[in-house]
Amino acid sequence: MRGRKTITRRDFLRGTAYTALGATLGSTLSREIKAEEKVKVILIRDENAIDQQGNINPKIIQKMLDEGVCGLLGEENPIQAWKKLIKPNDIVGIKSNSWFNLPTPKELEEAIQQRVMDAGVSKNKISIDDRGLLSNPIFKSSTALINVRPLRTHHWSGIGGCLKNYIMFVASPWAYHGESCSPLASIWSQPLVKGKTRLNILSLIRTQFYNRGAHHFDRRFVSEYKGLLIGKDPVAVDAVGARLLQLQRIAHFGEDRPLDTTPKHIFAADEKYKLGVSDLRRIDIVKLGWTEGTLL
Amino acid sequence: MRVCLLLFLTIWTVLVTTEYPTLSAEKEGRQVTMKRLLPQKVEDYKADGKDEFYDRNTSFRYMDGAAELYRSYAFKLLLVRKYVKTNQPPILVEFFDMDSPAEAFGIFSYETGEEDVKIGQGSDYGGGLLRFWKGKYFANVFAERETPFTKKDILTIGEAIAKNIKQDGLKPKLIQYLPEEGLSQKTIRYFHLHQVLNHHYFISHDNLLGLGPRTNALLATYTFAGEKDRTFLLIIQYSDSKQTEKAFHRFVKAYMPEATSSKTVKTENGKWTSARLYQKYVLVALDAPSQEKAEILIDSTEKNLKRRQP
Repeated sequence: MRGRKTITRRDFLRGTAYTALGATLGSTLSREIKAEEKVKVILIRDENAIDQQGNINPKIIQKMLDEGVCGLLGEENPIQAWKKLIKPNDIVGIKSNSWFNLPTPKELEEAIQQRVMDAGVSKNKISIDDRGLLSNPIFKSSTALINVRPLRTHHWSGIGGCLKNYIMFVASPWAYHGESCSPLASIWSQPLVKGKTRLNILSLIRTQFYNRGAHHFDRRFVSEYKGLLIGKDPVAVDAVGARLLQLQRIAHFGEDRPLDTTPKHIFAADEKYKLGVSDLRRIDIVKLGWTEGTLL
Repeated sequence: MRVCLLLFLTIWTVLVTTEYPTLSAEKEGRQVTMKRLLPQKVEDYKADGKDEFYDRNTSFRYMDGAAELYRSYAFKLLLVRKYVKTNQPPILVEFFDMDSPAEAFGIFSYETGEEDVKIGQGSDYGGGLLRFWKGKYFANVFAERETPFTKKDILTIGEAIAKNIKQDGLKPKLIQYLPEEGLSQKTIRYFHLHQVLNHHYFISHDNLLGLGPRTNALLATYTFAGEKDRTFLLIIQYSDSKQTEKAFHRFVKAYMPEATSSKTVKTENGKWTSARLYQKYVLVALDAPSQEKAEILIDSTEKNLKRRQP
C-alpha cells in the first residue's frame, strides 16, 4: 500500500479519480503519444451477419474474417495473410469459449479453422477447445494459438475478453480471481501459452453489455452489433472491447451504468505485465464495413 | 526419503479411511435431499435425467469466475437440472444449498430490482430469470429461449420447488438492528466481501473496511420524508474488537480525512457521511441529506444494537 494512493468514491465525485488511477498504475496518460507507437486493431462489421430469424450467416462471417485479417496484415489475399500467421508445420489450438449462453459462434470457429487449413495445416493438427484444453493433446503440443471469444461483461473481472479467455490454461482458475482478476495477464507467460498466440479475435456478433446477477444472460442487454475485433495485441483488443461495452451501456441506459468491477486486468496487463497497450490513444482502430451504430 | 514416503502414505491412508468418507457422506446426504426437493415432473415439463452437481471447487467448470460470488457466501452444493417439454425451449434450474438461511438470503439480496412474484421467502423475476430463496436454498430458474409462455412456465416450476421446501429460514440477525423508519426492505443486502459492497455502493477499490469471509455486512437504503434521494446505511460486524478498530480508523483516514471527533463530513455531492465504532460493529451512513439525518440514523442503529444484542 505504501506510496500508492487509495482511490475512493470521493475522488470520482471530485473528478480526480482518473488522475489518481493513472498515477496508481503508472499510466501513460501524460505521456506524449507518437503516431508510430500506435497498435492496430481492426473493427469489421456487416449488417447481414445475422439474418431476420437470428441465424448467423457463415459466408458473411468468413468474409468478415478474411477482410479483417487482410486489413490487419496489409495483405489482399486472405490465404496469403494467414500464411503470415501460421506455418504448415504448426500445431494449432483455437482457444474458443463455450459459455452456453453466449458461446463463440461456431460459424466463426469454422471460418478460422478453414483458414488455418488453407495455410497448410492438416485438420488433425488443429483443435478447437475451451474447458478441456489442459487434457487436449493438440493444445498440449501446440506451437500456435488463435484466441477467439465473444465480448461480454463479467461479474468478477469487469469484462470477458481475450485476456480472460486464457484462464482455462491454468488448473486453478480461482487463483487468478484476486484484485478483480488483475493477474490474468500472468497466464500468458505460462509455458503452454508463452509466445504462441498469433491472433486475437473478439466476436462482436452479439455482445452482452450489461448483466444482472453473477452469470446470468439477459437478452435485454445483448446487442446484435454484427462485428469482429481483430488484433495481434490482446490488451489493445480488450481495451477497445471494454470501451465499446461502456458506449453500448450509455446508448442503452442514457447513462454510464458502472460494471460490477472495473476491468483492472486490462491496465495491469499493460503496466505490470507489459503484454500490450491499454491506452486507447495509442490504439489505431481501423473501421471496415457497416458503419451504422458503430459507437466507437 | 523412505521415511517421508512412509509418512505421506500413512497420512493419506488415514485421510482416505476416516475423514474422506465423512465428507463424502455429508455431500451425498445433501445431494439426496436436493434431488428430492426438485420435482421430476411439473405439468408437462420433465427432468431430462442428466442432473449435474458442482461443489465449491468444481463450480468454476459450470460458471467460470462467476462462481466467486457464490463462494463469497457459504455455498456448499449446486444442482443443475434441465426440464424439457415437446416444442418448448428447455428450462434450467440452478439449485444452491447455501448452508444456512442467512447465506441463502445473502445471495438472493445481491439483485432484487425486478418484480416480486411471491415465490419462496423472497423472489425476483425479470428478463426471463426467476431468483428466489427459501430456507437454506437459493434458486435461479430460466429458459434457454424465450417464448410467450416462458414466464408462466418458469414461475410454475419455481412454485413447485418452493412448495417442496417445507421449512422457512431466518434472515440474518443483523437485520433486526436496522432502524425501521424510511427503510426500503427490498434494498437490504447481506454480504461478506468488499467487492459485493462496491457492486451496490462503490467506496474504494481498496478494502478499506477490512471486509472478508468472517465479517457480516448489511447495506440498506432509506428515503426520508420530503427527500427524493436515498440514504445508505452500512452495518459491519467483525469477529474481534482489534479488527473492528483497525477497519474503522483506516476507513476514516482514507474516506473522511477531514472528520473531527463527530466523524461526520459533508462530501463533494453535497450529502453527508457519518461513521461510528460500536463494540465489534462499524456503522456508516452515506449520502444523507443533512448532518442531523446522518447522525440520527447512526444513533438509532446504535440504540437497536444496545437493546437487541443477545
